Amino acid sequence: MRYERRVPSLVLLNVDGIECRYGSFRVLENVSLSVKEGDFVGILGPNGSGKTTLLKSISRSLKPYKGTILLNEADIYSLKGIDVARQMAVVPQDTTIGFSFSALDIVLMGRNPHMTRFQMESKKDLAIARKAMELTNTWHLSERPINELSGGERQRVIIARALAQEPKILLLDEPMTHLDIINQLEIMDLVKNLCVKEKLIVLAVFHDLNLAARYCTSAVLLKNGKIFSAGSLDEVLTSENIKSVFRVNAIVKKHLVTNSLFVLPLSPHKSSPARKCSIHLICGAGTGTALMKVLLDEGYSVTAGVLNVLDTDFETAQFLKIPVTTEAPFSPITEKTQKANLTMMRKASTIVLTSVPFGHGNLQNLKATLEALEMGIPVFVVDEVPIESRDFTNGTATALFAELKRKGAVFVKDQNELLSLLNVSEEKMRPSKEATTRIFNHLKPGRSHEESDITAKPEKAAGGMEK
Amino acid sequence: MNHDEVESAYFRRTSRWKLIILLLIVALIVTVIVSLNVGYAPIPFPNILAILAKQVPFLNNFVDSSLALPRDSAIILQIRLPRIMAGIVVGAALSSSGVVYQGVFKNPMADSYLLGVSSGAAVGASLSLLLGAGFSLLGLGLVQVAAFFGALFAMFLVYNIARVGPKVPITMLLLCGLAVNFFMYSIVSLLEVLAGDTLHSIVFWLIGGFSNVLWSQIWAVLPFIIVGTITSYFYVRDLNLLALGEETAHNLGVNVEKVKTKLLVSASMVAAAAVSLSGLIGFVGLMVPHITRLVIGPDHRILFPTSIITGAIFLVVCDAVARVIATPFASTLELPVGIITMLAGAPFFVILLKKKKQSYAL
Repeated sequence: MRYERRVPSLVLLNVDGIECRYGSFRVLENVSLSVKEGDFVGILGPNGSGKTTLLKSISRSLKPYKGTILLNEADIYSLKGIDVARQMAVVPQDTTIGFSFSALDIVLMGRNPHMTRFQMESKKDLAIARKAMELTNTWHLSERPINELSGGERQRVIIARALAQEPKILLLDEPMTHLDIINQLEIMDLVKNLCVKEKLIVLAVFHDLNLAARYCTSAVLLKNGKIFSAGSLDEVLTSENIKSVFRVNAIVKKHLVTNSLFVLPLSPHKSSPARKCSIHLICGAGTGTALMKVLLDEGYSVTAGVLNVLDTDFETAQFLKIPVTTEAPFSPITEKTQKANLTMMRKASTIVLTSVPFGHGNLQNLKATLEALEMGIPVFVVDEVPIESRDFTNGTATALFAELKRKGAVFVKDQNELLSLLNVSEEKMRPSKEATTRIFNHLKPGRSHEESDITAKPEKAAGGMEK
Repeated sequence: MNHDEVESAYFRRTSRWKLIILLLIVALIVTVIVSLNVGYAPIPFPNILAILAKQVPFLNNFVDSSLALPRDSAIILQIRLPRIMAGIVVGAALSSSGVVYQGVFKNPMADSYLLGVSSGAAVGASLSLLLGAGFSLLGLGLVQVAAFFGALFAMFLVYNIARVGPKVPITMLLLCGLAVNFFMYSIVSLLEVLAGDTLHSIVFWLIGGFSNVLWSQIWAVLPFIIVGTITSYFYVRDLNLLALGEETAHNLGVNVEKVKTKLLVSASMVAAAAVSLSGLIGFVGLMVPHITRLVIGPDHRILFPTSIITGAIFLVVCDAVARVIATPFASTLELPVGIITMLAGAPFFVILLKKKKQSYAL
């Protein structure tokens, strides 16, 4: 889905600069999109952004105040309702039905646009209805009254009715609201399959960004009735867009298994009062990821290092805009990086060592911790996993650990104990030289990793990664 | 479940529908003949059949004239048959408009009087009774004409108040109908207070009945009822779709506003014509479609015709009961049929409410 005009035979649905109003209230403004067969378009946006209104105007229910909607080059509002219904089916949000029609009756009503006024349903109509019901796994319900079905069963019957219309365009308005996970996936797989095989156009309103990410080929992100972003999923579903439209911080990544984007919204940042002290994390291999977020939420300013580029903790730090001393991927810590890290540690009010496994590659981190302790910086050790089981240095790390303990490092058994101890000892700690300036800004978008003056950055290794 | 089973069951349904209608027509004919026998003067069945047969060309040559006495013929043809015909016409009309209203309003509690038809007709009828009922126009009583136009006026009023731009929202119609009904009935009450001697006839008209119905009155309303009913029947499948909600009907190709207007106008015209003939007979338009739906199902393609015939049978039976029920106490007293339908209707209403609570969620 793009803005440029395509060859006429390909374009099926063209929304051109529409403006929709309820009374004098403007709900949609200058919305344009062009959808061709086989497109699966997700319509995304927060409540009240105009998603349903957009579907309504496309389904001829709300005539736009300005602009046109073309179906195969013909203005949809000049076409007869029945002609449109032969090509376009709608699955609405609300599907309650008061009368006790059987599920089969309901699905057969989808054949209405294809029948003449006094015609009865033919064998062919029944066969089409049956196929639609088998696809949506509702054929066994065919004789049950619709008003006695569960919400999910009813939703599937309604989707079967839409399929029985044999449409070329399928509009879905939050179709998954009443469905459990397995039904959501089955129905979406079905719709996706039709989209691919039968070249169906699907326009669907989604609240679940992950469902959208998994099935859509492209997306329209609406904000306050205007298109905020439109295009391929990679272009639309970015954490920056989600932040500006939904006001939520989210991690957006390609999932390893499904190879589709997945969106992990983070709970809105708690506005804990900023604290005076800063914490330097010695972590790696994901052991520091949860702690980074928690410490930031608690109001500490956080630094970390040394981390290898591409390490899970490195990526988290990147996302959370935490200054990091980095080392090239899969490389042992060099003399130069070690120095940079020590500089960073000296600025911190306290050091926290996570339950990271130690090998020869990161043993330097343990040595640096010991050095810091000797310099008088308090060290907390989160000792969730016994050092013996994560020591891959033939005992060197275990020995250093014992030394840490002897020289007064505080050992805690988990994150909660760490937090409570940090709280108690905060008063006694020396305030960080760096902390106060950085504290408030760590989650603001646009403040990138590079801005941090204290990050030692091996040019060759990290240069291309940090963007 | 076997596929073919469901399929063949589905197609058997169509032939079952035809059978149901056939049986109902037979039942109606039987009801009419039995009902002709009911009354103060005893006329045996052979005589009734002979009198009827005499009216039919060709068949009349074979009738034994001794069975068709002039006095009996007059009673059957000029007194009982018009009454029964009026029962058929009014019962069918009220039921057909009731089905339409219930479908369009998606509410099984809607009835033929929802859009002010009853109250408008009541104002027209009471006003004309008060001003002088003797006046007649083209053989029609002033009361009938006034009731008909009163009903149409009220409906027009409701429809136009409820209209929002080009659309007529259902809730607006419902509430405006309620408001206009209240207003009109307060006028009727005022007229009743002022009525003096004519109060008796106003009360009788408001209850509704068929005493002294003339053939001419029946012929006068018949065209409206036939045209209105056929128009409604034209849109039976759209009624099915409208019952799913206007938005859904729209998406399935129904021109909702146009169809809705046509259906409501023709159903109201049918109800107005019926009311002008019989006065306000209650509960038929509510009850008959409802019972029929419970038995037949909600598909309007069969619900509509069966409701019409059932309504006719129901009202003919009620009228026969009304004619004889009071005879043991006072041989010449006839109850208005409206009392019987309401006596049967109110308990039915309660039973329905108790039984099918869940279907009344609007």
